[in-house]
Amino acid sequence: MSLKYVGKNITRPDAVQKATGKARFLADIKLPGMLYAAILRPGHAHARIVSIDTSEAEKCEGVVKVITGKGCSQKYRYGDNIRDFVPMADEKVRYIGEPLAAVIAKNPHQAKEALKKITVQVHPLPVYTQATDALADGATLIHEASGDYWHLPGVGPKPGTNIATHYRLKKGDAAKGFAESDVVVEAEFKYPFGSCAAIEPHGSIVWFHEDGMIEIWSSSICPFIIREEVARVYDRPESDVRVHIPEVGGCFGYKSDITVEQTVAYIASFVPGHPVKWVATRKEDFTSTLLGHGMVIRMKIGAKKDGKLMALATTVYHSTGAYADTGLHVSIAAAHNSTGAYEYPNCDLETFLTYTNTPPIGAWRGYGHPEAQFAQERLIEILARKLGMDRFALREKNYLGPGKITSLGEHLWETNGSIQKCVDVVKRTVFDKPRPPEDPEYYYGRGFAAIMKSPKGAPFSSKGAYLKFNADGSVVINCGGAEVGQGLRNVVRLVAAETLKMPPERIHVYTEIDTQFSPWEWQTIGSMFTKQGGRAVWRACLKAIAQMKQTASQVLRCDVDLLDYDGEYVFLASDPSVKVEVTKLVRGYMYENGMVVGEVVQACADARLPRYSGFDPATGQGSMGVSYTFGAQAAEIRIEKKTGKIIVDHFASCFDVGRVIQPQQIRGQVTGGVVMTVGAALCEEVRFDQDGKCVNPLFRKYRFPTIKDAPKKQTVDFVETPGVIGPYGARGIGEHPVIGPPPAILNAIHDATGIDFFEIPVTPEKMKKALDEKGSGGEK
Amino acid sequence: MAEKITLTVNQVPYTIEIEGWEHLIDVLRDEIGLTGTKRGCDDLSCGACTVLMNGEAVKSCQVLAKRASGADVVTIEALAQGTKLHPIQEALIESGAVQCGFCIPGIVMGLHGLFRKKLDATEAEIADTLENHLCRCTGYEAIFEGAKLAQKKLKAR
Repeated sequence: MSLKYVGKNITRPDAVQKATGKARFLADIKLPGMLYAAILRPGHAHARIVSIDTSEAEKCEGVVKVITGKGCSQKYRYGDNIRDFVPMADEKVRYIGEPLAAVIAKNPHQAKEALKKITVQVHPLPVYTQATDALADGATLIHEASGDYWHLPGVGPKPGTNIATHYRLKKGDAAKGFAESDVVVEAEFKYPFGSCAAIEPHGSIVWFHEDGMIEIWSSSICPFIIREEVARVYDRPESDVRVHIPEVGGCFGYKSDITVEQTVAYIASFVPGHPVKWVATRKEDFTSTLLGHGMVIRMKIGAKKDGKLMALATTVYHSTGAYADTGLHVSIAAAHNSTGAYEYPNCDLETFLTYTNTPPIGAWRGYGHPEAQFAQERLIEILARKLGMDRFALREKNYLGPGKITSLGEHLWETNGSIQKCVDVVKRTVFDKPRPPEDPEYYYGRGFAAIMKSPKGAPFSSKGAYLKFNADGSVVINCGGAEVGQGLRNVVRLVAAETLKMPPERIHVYTEIDTQFSPWEWQTIGSMFTKQGGRAVWRACLKAIAQMKQTASQVLRCDVDLLDYDGEYVFLASDPSVKVEVTKLVRGYMYENGMVVGEVVQACADARLPRYSGFDPATGQGSMGVSYTFGAQAAEIRIEKKTGKIIVDHFASCFDVGRVIQPQQIRGQVTGGVVMTVGAALCEEVRFDQDGKCVNPLFRKYRFPTIKDAPKKQTVDFVETPGVIGPYGARGIGEHPVIGPPPAILNAIHDATGIDFFEIPVTPEKMKKALDEKGSGGEK
Repeated sequence: MAEKITLTVNQVPYTIEIEGWEHLIDVLRDEIGLTGTKRGCDDLSCGACTVLMNGEAVKSCQVLAKRASGADVVTIEALAQGTKLHPIQEALIESGAVQCGFCIPGIVMGLHGLFRKKLDATEAEIADTLENHLCRCTGYEAIFEGAKLAQKKLKAR
């Protein structure tokens, strides 16, 4: 297919606004009569509230109202999957960042100052920061009444325990598979808590209008979920709740799901008539929004002598934090994607989503895939050694692909792309040249990881597009997809330009999302926008063209199926001189006498993954809409003998994305994703002490890569085996690049030193210690 | 206790009443309404709030407002001349460095601070400047390429 705009480096439509500082983010919004909230956080991570005295705070300058959560857990409980969240602690606190009280004041400084005057008395309870501790017999319950919470069918808390959900997926007969295996390997892996750490912190503005409308602005990617949940809690029609999404300064997962909005809504509900603004400090962004990961994964693989994989058993212990609503599907995704890129005929994959006294877990770019495939890609490397097989030969024998069946029971086809082609590219880039020999200063190593990404979402996760032709033939498109930097506005524009056969500069795409005007979209997650949102745009374009042809068939007096369209004209295919301009069709065709025929050209369309379903509670299997993506990644590293510092000299990635829509943007998605989990592999961890206090909720202490920590060089390639759902064959890419770096780097560490690590981050201190233990002076 | 400071921001003189706790970023964003300067952290790490003060790139969240009294401040809003972007802005856009865009104003100002003092900065010096800025989107490759392209454009000017 020869394409004119798709696949070209056309500048993204939001670049100038952002580069000039004019793009409007949440913190930049000022509204008339606006008040500011500051939120008190508890001194204990798990405690019964005895008393909260707000009287002194109420006397402070500028203070309008002081609020506590007393009684809120009855009326205001919320959650999309398990309704266990409260907007403010009521009776007890369950984690260190929980909202405990709030001050509304004339300015943010006054609100923060008044917080210091609130005195709180609590009765401390035992604190659990790890799932394995919270699961112990006799552990104090973090949610005493978890059995009463509303939840989606097939999931939900196990009353009398700290288990928020137990999910188990069975494919074939795992016990039999292990019995028939010649070799079994097993190990425990840890992917610790991490923060998405977007540079823009979370924040919201909520305004309860006098006329009953509730208006909300949020740094979020799920305006329609916010609308639905706020409407439900405050007993309003959804049409009376209006949610705006301004520019979002990075998401990476944790601005999905409803997070801070219900708390700000609860606070604002005490001062109707006034917009109330709250923006997280960086500390609050760490402790009081959503964290990622928190998984301990026990994995066991059985295989035949010849390398044929026979069985996989995975148990995930997921420390999901004090509220489980947002961690639920991450946990399930971790279990069913723990096969990685391989076909296992027999699987027993389970996860214990467990309440802990830590901030709630939510989406973190990759959504269960990085954690589970960290384990898979490390363990399969260990299996290769035990079998005495080449790492690539073992993998190649078992890759998922046409004719193979995933853990969920889905058959794969050519149109799912080729992992082998991706592996071949990465092998050529990294492994087909000799490894540098050890020298006095450094060990050198290379490591590989294959990856698979499923589109974990929900059965109703449709995306929509509204398209409107203007009188001059230019086009405006609105979608509900949140632009968080990934570049989806440009995807919308390029897909529309290609389909409507008109230059991209004639197409204007939306800036903010507004639930009053934007088409419905569930939320912008799961690397699904290009595929589903792009398909919705493509469908809307086809509808608009069909409308124009319909009108033209009347004007040109011929059958509609004899007409063609080239962006400027609708014309008779057999005689292109018989034609009518698009500009004469867009508002219906007007004859000289002023009579008009035909529709105004404006189209609305949606798209979803076909036959996507929930899972069967008996087997845990279901459908992801047979929508998988595969890729391969590899690291070339150097380890400084003196310090244990690990330097990534080169990182290579190749994904079969079906179709590259904009080369520069897709490369940016990959280079950014790789650096994110080079950070996870080498330095990032949100740490809690035994009392559940976060010890590093600052950028200076939660180190994530600077330009000097990034790989010295990245090679990024794509294979383009077209898919059948996405526009022009495109699949997603957003989350994929973060999956491979930790296992590839840890595999490279073994390659360099013979040392196996089972948890990240591998800091220089840990590396140095392991080198010292291995041999005096760090000798190999 | 209220006190007054005077400063010049983007060549416009201002007299601002402050209480004393405010930093330069608060004056720029809340008093003057220049919201292109961003706040991303609490501990001087992210660089999103970088502006020029008396010709030097500074993190405006670390400068107490009273210390800015008498200063000449340049913010991101002053770089483009109407619809004509500054070469640094053009270069970062062309290199694909703009994703979510939250860190970009700070990076533009950081590079502006570097190149106006040292247009022939080495790659190592450019990296030293960019090390003051956190970006979670790009992996820095496009930012570094953009910085080098900006230098080229500025030299050709």
